[in-house]
Amino acid sequence: MSFNVLRPHVVSRTGLGMMSLRQLSTSRAVAVQASRRACAAEGITAEDTVGFKYVPGGPILPGTVNDATKFPPPDRTHGSYHWAFERVLSAALIPLTVGAAVTSGTAHPILDGILGVSLVVHSHIGFDSAVVDYFHPRKFPVLGQVMSWLLRICTGLSVWGVYEFNTNDIGITEFVRRVWKA
Amino acid sequence: MLASRSASLLASTSKVASTSSLAARAFSVSAARQHAAPAPVPPKQKLKEFKIYRWNPDQPSEKPQLQSYKVNLAECGPMVLDALIKIKNDLDPTLTFRRSCREGICGSCAMNIDGVNTLACLSRIDRDENKPKKIYPLPHMYIVKDLVPDLTQFYKQYKSIEPFLKNDNVPVNSEHLQSPEDRKKLDGMYECILCACCSTSCPSYWWNQDEYLGPAALMAAYRWMADSRDSYGAERKERMQNSLSLYRCHTIFNCSRTCPKGLNPAKAIAQIKLEMATGA
Repeated sequence: MSFNVLRPHVVSRTGLGMMSLRQLSTSRAVAVQASRRACAAEGITAEDTVGFKYVPGGPILPGTVNDATKFPPPDRTHGSYHWAFERVLSAALIPLTVGAAVTSGTAHPILDGILGVSLVVHSHIGFDSAVVDYFHPRKFPVLGQVMSWLLRICTGLSVWGVYEFNTNDIGITEFVRRVWKA
Repeated sequence: MLASRSASLLASTSKVASTSSLAARAFSVSAARQHAAPAPVPPKQKLKEFKIYRWNPDQPSEKPQLQSYKVNLAECGPMVLDALIKIKNDLDPTLTFRRSCREGICGSCAMNIDGVNTLACLSRIDRDENKPKKIYPLPHMYIVKDLVPDLTQFYKQYKSIEPFLKNDNVPVNSEHLQSPEDRKKLDGMYECILCACCSTSCPSYWWNQDEYLGPAALMAAYRWMADSRDSYGAERKERMQNSLSLYRCHTIFNCSRTCPKGLNPAKAIAQIKLEMATGA
């Protein structure tokens, strides 16, 4: 909001210029006036009066300049559980990889399978983090969903591929061994 | 013209000239000496180029540009802020920047100097005249004018972590005591001056600053989680239980590297993550 006022061209171009009386010179004045309006008018939320309306090129600031930002609803599966699982999996991959390196994949098919699935899940979490960073649905409602599902499909195909490769072919440990020696 | 000629003269007979100028200075109170001495030699010019980001909201159609200024370091203080103030006083009064305390405690003059977010008042001017100094506002922020970024969102986020003591059982007739060990946990966090250097150096904050709180706000949040006198630590942590507010930190460490006060926001964020995972 404050920024719009500081850039009158944006205000006038987008129809926010209706509030032309409030095109003040400093953001502090806007802040004071904004909070006063929000307090005085019963039942009118900050969003309705002085809340930020998105203009291309401008900041996304819901509410007045005096309102704190809001937290999304808490959900531990996206918070600490996700983080802990990610760390535990990453740490577990170290002994798994060492174990696969010193044993034979054909002799220990279970270990081979666990390693294959863990690697795919580990990659999925990593790529998912990138998708959340760069294609979050709040910014890209369509592309975000597309990327998210593309990743899930790729992960699913990878798990299926690892399963097929480990059951009907030599398995990933043996494959790495042969590539290494080739 | 005259200045440069006498400067070269000074350079050619440096030893003699320097002694004589020293003498002239030492005896400057004596009128007779003043008359006898040659005309006072101006100090040698030491011109350093400053390239400064300029953008004027009154001409929004004009793109931001780097404007070049030559500052004589011989007549300027040692810090970048001194040069900025000198430019504003002597060369271009339209140059706009924030400054207040000039000693690194207010956090106003945070800007990007030669590619590093830091406080202009704590950043020394490199004496090498051949290298121009480039000064930009804090990166990836909306710019109000020239070197002034819009920190509204940054302050709104700071407000959202409730940076004040919350305790339902405050002692009535006594002080709220804290052991020296508990007090020590706050060292390295309470010194933060909220200059926004760390948050604006964080790539995660660049991409997701509408939701991700950023290192400055997160360290401030942990400062209250770690305080033994605060009893709302669990609630404070519970609000971070989402994928964006806290967990967009990917331990890039730009925050700790750039902090002009030498603090370690990355460590505070790691502590929050650990305590949230282990339930401590």
